[in-house]
Amino acid sequence: MTVWKTSVRNFLAHKGRMALSAVAVLLSVAFVCGTLVFTDTMNTTFDKLFAVTSPDVTVSPKTADGNDEQPDNGKPASLPASVVQEVAKADGVKKAEGAVFSMAVTVVNSENKNMGSETGAPTIAGNWTENDLRSMEITSGHAPRGPTEVMVDADTAKKHKLKIGDELRTIAAAGDITAKISGIASFTVTNPGAAVVYLDTATAQKQLLGAPDVFTQILVSAESGVSDTQLKKNVATVLDGSAAYKLQTQQEATEANKDSMGSFLDVMKYAMLGFAGIAFLVGIFLIVNTFSMLVAQRTREIGLMRAIGSSRKQVNRSVLVEAVLLGIVGSVLGVAAGVGLAVGLMKAMGAVGMELSTGDLTVAWTTPAIGLVLGVVVTVLAAYIPARRAGKVSPMAALRDAGTPADGKSGWIRAGIGLLLTAAGGAALWATTQADKATEGSMFLAVGVLLTLIGFIVIGPLLAGVVVRALSVVVLRLFGPVGRLAERNALRNPRRTGATGAALMIGLALVACLSVVGSSMVASATEELDKSVGADFIVQDSSTGRPIVPQAAEAVRDVPGLEHMTDYTFVEAKITAPNGKTEDEGITAADPTYQQDVRRTALSGDLSKAYGKNAMSVGDTYAERHGIKIGDTLTVAFKAGETAKLKVAAITSDDTNIDRGAMYTNLTTAASYVPADRMPQNVAMFGKAEEGKEKEAYAALKSAMAEYPVYKVQNQADFKEDLKDQVGQLLNIVYGLLALAIIVAVLGVVNTLALSVVERTREIGLMRAIGLSRRQLRRMIRLESVVIALFGALLGLGLGMGWGTAAQKLLALEGLEVLEIPWPTILTVFACSALVGLFAALVPAFRAGRMNVLNAIAADG
Amino acid sequence: MTTAVTIPRHGGTGGRTAVAARARQVLKAYGTGETRVVALDHVDVDIARGQFTAIMGPSGSGKSTLMHCLAGLDTVTSGEIFLDETEITKLKDKKLTQLRRDRIGFIFQAFNLLPTLNAIENITLPMDIAGRRPDAAWLQQVVETVGLAERLKHRPTQLSGGQQQRVAVARALAARPEIIFGDEPTGNLDSRAGAEVLSFLRKSVDELGQTIVMVTHDPVAASYADRVLYLADGSIVDEMYNPTADQVLDRMKHFDARGRTS
Repeated sequence: MTVWKTSVRNFLAHKGRMALSAVAVLLSVAFVCGTLVFTDTMNTTFDKLFAVTSPDVTVSPKTADGNDEQPDNGKPASLPASVVQEVAKADGVKKAEGAVFSMAVTVVNSENKNMGSETGAPTIAGNWTENDLRSMEITSGHAPRGPTEVMVDADTAKKHKLKIGDELRTIAAAGDITAKISGIASFTVTNPGAAVVYLDTATAQKQLLGAPDVFTQILVSAESGVSDTQLKKNVATVLDGSAAYKLQTQQEATEANKDSMGSFLDVMKYAMLGFAGIAFLVGIFLIVNTFSMLVAQRTREIGLMRAIGSSRKQVNRSVLVEAVLLGIVGSVLGVAAGVGLAVGLMKAMGAVGMELSTGDLTVAWTTPAIGLVLGVVVTVLAAYIPARRAGKVSPMAALRDAGTPADGKSGWIRAGIGLLLTAAGGAALWATTQADKATEGSMFLAVGVLLTLIGFIVIGPLLAGVVVRALSVVVLRLFGPVGRLAERNALRNPRRTGATGAALMIGLALVACLSVVGSSMVASATEELDKSVGADFIVQDSSTGRPIVPQAAEAVRDVPGLEHMTDYTFVEAKITAPNGKTEDEGITAADPTYQQDVRRTALSGDLSKAYGKNAMSVGDTYAERHGIKIGDTLTVAFKAGETAKLKVAAITSDDTNIDRGAMYTNLTTAASYVPADRMPQNVAMFGKAEEGKEKEAYAALKSAMAEYPVYKVQNQADFKEDLKDQVGQLLNIVYGLLALAIIVAVLGVVNTLALSVVERTREIGLMRAIGLSRRQLRRMIRLESVVIALFGALLGLGLGMGWGTAAQKLLALEGLEVLEIPWPTILTVFACSALVGLFAALVPAFRAGRMNVLNAIAADG
Repeated sequence: MTTAVTIPRHGGTGGRTAVAARARQVLKAYGTGETRVVALDHVDVDIARGQFTAIMGPSGSGKSTLMHCLAGLDTVTSGEIFLDETEITKLKDKKLTQLRRDRIGFIFQAFNLLPTLNAIENITLPMDIAGRRPDAAWLQQVVETVGLAERLKHRPTQLSGGQQQRVAVARALAARPEIIFGDEPTGNLDSRAGAEVLSFLRKSVDELGQTIVMVTHDPVAASYADRVLYLADGSIVDEMYNPTADQVLDRMKHFDARGRTS
């Protein structure tokens, strides 16, 4: 009980000194809880949405691949209207209605602006059914009554200021549908961003599915008292258990929808939790430092406790109890902050077009439990070593003179272990660069990264001595005696400086590593583009990767100034090699001009012959795997058509990133086996301008594509820029998430400085008394901070560049052949960490400057 | 009330006053109203140049406060303090810090040295901070006087308490300040080490012409001084020239007795 009491009192007495540690725990816990609440809320939102949009039983056609949401020919699989009447005859059916549903559409307004979501939520077109009334209500106007009318959802209408009478154009595979808005329907549940348009049934059938009297689904509702499972059985009976149809109860449909959504949510959740984990790791350093310093400051007090009879265990436990208190305070605040963070995240998603309602906010009981347990456990683990050290304080300490206890020397054993780990890690990284198999290489990389990281943490104190001295020669000596004092202060407790720097090192190492990989990616791709792409222009939907509808393809095909425009698509097929092995592959079908657009090296044979009738090419890895020679015949069973026997006319080198492993055939060859209406649409199109007409052709292409805003026309410069932007954006997101870890590390620097200032109160008083000015004093603290930050940055960036280089060498096996160290980024980060150091010292320096000289000298040290 | 202003303002030494520092009507009070405590009650005092002055008095008499005010470490409630011709009571922190750095030396009771600096670095610290080069010959002389030549590269933790105080004395002397203030500089030392430090202080006055003001409650320490000022209840109540330890002790007993009976 007394242990508890002294701990509580100590905790309260030092609450200021614990504050930053509590913030570190708070931030990490908040990030974990925020992630959990946010993803749970997303799940709730989708659950509700899917539950109300699914009827009691859904009947849909069974497609070969089971994926009919993004059909590559642009037309969803359908079933004949007659089936609706059959289903209606089943027992217990209240109503069976045919529905048309397609996500292969784009909706634009009269100014050719895309009405769809920019966050990846789908654009959906369909007919208006009674089932829709369960999730929507028509709030103005009426449902479409003919081919010239369309109804739009209220969220989209509001976002784009659409009103009744405005014209909307729905771009679908079978053509464009231009219609005036006849009505606006509002969702009665949260719609997280999908744009929905309703057409009248006949128009939807003809334009979205390409045929009259077909539906994509039959929505069946049950009479009261009939369960969904019973209804499903009854419907199956009238359909004679036909294998052509897929039947789902409401629950099954909801589950299936959730599964497709869930994997995306899971990836997001685990990625964010990973970053929270890094923040926790960084926070540990901060907590270790705090408790070490508290224990050091309290040495005499602990000595007294020991002298009057406290056991080691009691002293040890009293420190751990303080850690538990810290963990609880930090975690409780963290859980609350996490919910706030989730709400903030939801609002932020709203700003980019993903509407989430706070009414769906879901806080599972596990969320606070996880947050609390995680926060407390991590804090206690971090405080364990300082607690043990406290237990070892001898009762004699009570009698000894006050002052800073003997400066922590970094032990030789520790240095030895650290060097050993670092060396082993370095060896693993070197092995990574030498690996010729991706799997073994990535294992080496993982081991190397882990070992070098731990190694650097362990030898941190040793490195602190070396690096801080080196940095001082370059930076601090400029500042004369104040610089020297700062250097000595940074060096006086290498363990503390090492841990503070290491915290910063972790975040910056990841930044450096990813920036090396990112810029190597861009550099490799750019080099490859320069080397092998002959096309001047590429047309594609680069945001969602959807194929190009025929009418859009037609619009750009005959643009003036073009030498050629290549159709390029990918046809799914099962391909059987002469050795009898079948692989689920696909074949790239293009116009023969594609050879000029993307130059490929033929290792044997003649690539132009592969575009001949019933001919094809294969990549050398495939050829090697199955022992294929020129002249062999492959059996290509097109999934959407017949089976063809194609002769191998060329074997191309797979030493490339573009079309790696692709098999080529002429578009006409593929078309002779696949019926026209099931032929996939163009994945992309490649254009080449006539000599000297690049500019005209580019402008003409752009204006021709203006009507179809989802497709981008890019020349090579645009394309490279776009690639760079995409990699840059991805890196920015990751940097943003790593910012959390870096913020915690910066708090660590602030913490170390703040506690050092407290610890050195008397010294500061003495220096002020003998004539150190406030400015000099503040500068001394700032310089110490800068040197610690630069130490962490140097270690982190060095380590990160090592990791990045090893990763690039490994990825070279996948075509990432150019290593590019982004020096501007690296140097900027280095310079910024100096600024971060200055920033971290702001408050501690200010407080030190404000100290009363006399009180400081008299302080109990 | 005995006034301690006994030395004429102008001596004959090249225009510089014979008074190194003086206080005029210095009042130092803490708190207001009923809780008001007067630490210094309109004190007038002159500190003679080239002399060793000791300030004595019972605990709470205001002796430390007086020294802190004279040294520019503490502010006064009213009154004026001059260091030579500079009125330090008018100075802002920046100028005051500069003044302490360039014109005043300090020796505290304990914790005089920065643990991160070795002995010689501690000695030259005030000059380093000021960006001045120490006078090598003078530094040599000071170091030899205090007998530290062998230990200049030692860190404070490697020095004994007496050696640490000698380093502090050397630091105070090295910058050739106009005046050195000591706040019970031997308070933490045994009598032998204390005697050693006090002899150095005496020697620096006799041989180097240094002005020293020392707060102490030890009659033996006070006996090293040229002049002893007695403080009680914030006022100077007595003074004594060329004292011996016994005289000081007697006088102290007298004050103590008076304090007890009144």
